[in-house]
Amino acid sequence: MAGAREEKVPHGLLHAFLALVVLYTVYPVLWVITIAFSGKQSLAIADLPAEPGFLDRLRAVTPWPAQWSVANFVSVFGDQPFARWVLNSLVVAVATTLVGVFLSCTAAYAFSRFKFPGRRAGMMAFLVSQMFPGVLTLIPLYIIIVQWLGLGSTRLGLIIVYATTSIPFSVWMLKGYFDTIPRELEEAAIIEGAGPGMIFWRIVLPLALPAIAITALFSFMTAWNEFILAATFMDQEEMYTAPVALRFFVGGFQQQWGYFAAGSIVVSIPVVVLFLYLQKYLVSGLTAGSVKG
Amino acid sequence: MSDAPALRRRFTAGLALAVAAGLGGSWAAMRGEWVNQRDDLALRRGAVTAMALDQLVGRAGGTGEPLRAALAAWQAEQPAGTEARVVRLSGARLEASTAKVDVGDQAAPRRLARSSPEDKVLYDRGQRLRGAVEGNREGGAVKPEVEVERLAGGRMRLAGPLEEDGAVVGLVQVDLAPAPARRPPAPWPMLAVAGGLLVLFWFLAPRLGGRAWAHGLLAGALFLGGLLALGAHDIRRLERDHREAQRELSDHAREVRAGTAKLLAARGLAAAPALDAGRWDVDRMRRPRGLLDERGELDLARAEAEVRKARGDAVGAVVAAALLGLLGLALVGSGLLWRFGRALVVHRQAYRYIAPAMLGTLVLVFFPFIYGIALSFTSSNIYNTSAPLPELWVGLRNYWTILSDFGIARRGADGALIWNYLNFYWTFLFTVIWTVTNVTFGVTFGLLLALVLNTRGLAFRPVYRVLLILPWAMPNYITALIWKGMFHRQFGVVNQVLAMVGIEPISWFDTPFTSFLTAFATNAWLSFPFMMVVSLGALQSIPADLYEAARVDGATRWQQFTAITLPSLKPALVPAVILSVVWTFNMFNIIFLVTGGEPNGATEILITQAYKFAFQKYQYGYAAAYATIIFGILLVYGNVQNRVTRATEGV
Repeated sequence: MAGAREEKVPHGLLHAFLALVVLYTVYPVLWVITIAFSGKQSLAIADLPAEPGFLDRLRAVTPWPAQWSVANFVSVFGDQPFARWVLNSLVVAVATTLVGVFLSCTAAYAFSRFKFPGRRAGMMAFLVSQMFPGVLTLIPLYIIIVQWLGLGSTRLGLIIVYATTSIPFSVWMLKGYFDTIPRELEEAAIIEGAGPGMIFWRIVLPLALPAIAITALFSFMTAWNEFILAATFMDQEEMYTAPVALRFFVGGFQQQWGYFAAGSIVVSIPVVVLFLYLQKYLVSGLTAGSVKG
Repeated sequence: MSDAPALRRRFTAGLALAVAAGLGGSWAAMRGEWVNQRDDLALRRGAVTAMALDQLVGRAGGTGEPLRAALAAWQAEQPAGTEARVVRLSGARLEASTAKVDVGDQAAPRRLARSSPEDKVLYDRGQRLRGAVEGNREGGAVKPEVEVERLAGGRMRLAGPLEEDGAVVGLVQVDLAPAPARRPPAPWPMLAVAGGLLVLFWFLAPRLGGRAWAHGLLAGALFLGGLLALGAHDIRRLERDHREAQRELSDHAREVRAGTAKLLAARGLAAAPALDAGRWDVDRMRRPRGLLDERGELDLARAEAEVRKARGDAVGAVVAAALLGLLGLALVGSGLLWRFGRALVVHRQAYRYIAPAMLGTLVLVFFPFIYGIALSFTSSNIYNTSAPLPELWVGLRNYWTILSDFGIARRGADGALIWNYLNFYWTFLFTVIWTVTNVTFGVTFGLLLALVLNTRGLAFRPVYRVLLILPWAMPNYITALIWKGMFHRQFGVVNQVLAMVGIEPISWFDTPFTSFLTAFATNAWLSFPFMMVVSLGALQSIPADLYEAARVDGATRWQQFTAITLPSLKPALVPAVILSVVWTFNMFNIIFLVTGGEPNGATEILITQAYKFAFQKYQYGYAAAYATIIFGILLVYGNVQNRVTRATEGV
């Protein structure tokens, strides 16, 4: 513990510092909640009188709505096609996860269990692909998906792209886990007369379920939060995903901050919860290579 | 492996593959070229007819009875199956027509019926041509001014704008009878050569004994010899056909010119200025191709240049076919393909498991990457994405344009500096400043918070931890939009807070510096938790006895920090810093959504700039070069970073 050196710093001071920082981190979140429940489209928390005093100004920055109302939530789903946009996101993210994780599982299993020519090259290829800059591949992807295949403004186009781009990361995550599953179980199964397909489906997959679940959740979150590709591919309003829709509310000439705030809360809650649950895996995954080296 | 019969079999198979790929490929390319040539000729003949008619219509006044009489006289001279229509846009009138369907109550002149699909197509086409001509006058030739439609039975329909005093007032549309069909080159000579080569090799091979190189040499020589002979023959034929096509075009143009002149004279229409057949042989933008002079005679230099270009293409095709064939021969002959095939069979299970994932990434990750780099050497843009890349090839021009422009700033009339925010080096400089400031802040602040949170016995630690991680958990595009709202000039919270201490509202996005501050505040908010979590994890893994021992030795707290804490943090912090440099360098969402590059692209980082070139200016080739440069910068950075890390680890 590094505690030794802080012993002389009074905890009160530390709490004051932390409280300030927490204010900085939490304020934007409270702000968006306030706007969402204000029932108005305005950016301002409170209307200022013509000659505002200090207290008026303090009121205008205090994240507490003048009047609590769920009108924004009701009308973002009722008057705006937000439900459809969320559905688009959900369909795309779920399909991406299913396709991406399934393909990654089989590939990771082969990389982990079989010896074959091209094994090292294949893993390296997946690793290298993570370094390709997004914008460079975005232009050809746009040409391929939208201009050649005509899949612009379709969920299928996004699913194909998201799923394939998620494969390399997922394969690396899963292969690491498959490597830790003892082979004895499979060998026993072979003696019992099980075929390779059976071993994969009945023994390895169930054992790897925790890792698969985590990979799937990451894959889902990535697809759910993706903005650039979706903004580039989805031209038609009805095919927007949630991120594109949220920008649509406040980008350009529209200034519907109430809809934006309400929508943001609905869209964020699942991922924030997931993230807080998953962050320890993410950190260990990102820095794993370094600690060993 | 090297017994004679096996070698004979293997190399015969290799030769067969080479012959199929090489001779077959070369023949297919030649045939494609031949079809293109015929097509092009038909199109150009059509264009001459249509443009000549366009001129006739113009001289006949473009309207009324004189026009209809002139058109009828024109029709009398045409081969069966040719017909023409003239539409005037004002009033949407079919002014004159010789079409078979335009008789009875459909006869010209009449109003185009909104309810009739055919009429609507005609009217829309006129509008489109007018738009194209006006657009091209302003912004360079990008839209076709001559529309071509293929009709059933090999007929072709061409439409061009009808102009009066420089303004488009209607269109002239001609349907042309199909050109007399020609037999395409037959495959028999190629098949005969191919078969002959194989048979020859099969019978010669036994004389070579067990020497693999001799087999390879013989097969290669036979293949190249056959391909060269066949290629030379095909190319000569192609040249001959091309010259013939040019002559045909010239004959046609002279004929049309004479016919039109006769018509003009017979109807007493203006004969001056003289008809210019050179301006009838045009491309889709109505730009003269320069092959014909005004009397319709061939411009010999130009004609020769066209033939040379066609020959160049054909030679390229033969060379490509030769390389492909030799590659096939080498693969099969050396047994590589065989071994590869065996590996596929032996390890088929592993490959089956991997194939879908590999195929997907090959098509949608690796191919786009390579295609993107290829694009960067072309002038590809939104209008020509269907053209093959070699036609758009510009070499290193994009890179040169981007990298050679050092004009970051110039002096205005009043002596003040005017920055050129679109300049690559400005954007690069801004990106570096952006990355350095953000990462420095993130690391310092994250580490500081981790040290504070790591205090023994601090109350509410888990609560602080969750609250401080919150920014990382939020989707970053939402974060960006929230902060954009908070920096709003009139209603934004930030200006309200400033007003509380008596500061006038600031228009945050009007100057580069304040605009940078908004993006910085946003990115600082969302990026420090990562550093904090990483540092915290590393801090907790430092054994307490180290500090214990240091204290016993009388080390000050600063000494403990620099001698124990920092070195123990290094293995976790270094990769975290590397990661966060790359993330920040490529932090698209924050810049794109918060500042949007305001003002005037001053706060654009490289990656958002590349995006804007691609998807707001539609210069795909230029944007791809930009993105490739970004990739290059990151590669260099990765290399330098690697060396520095290794060097410091060695100490």
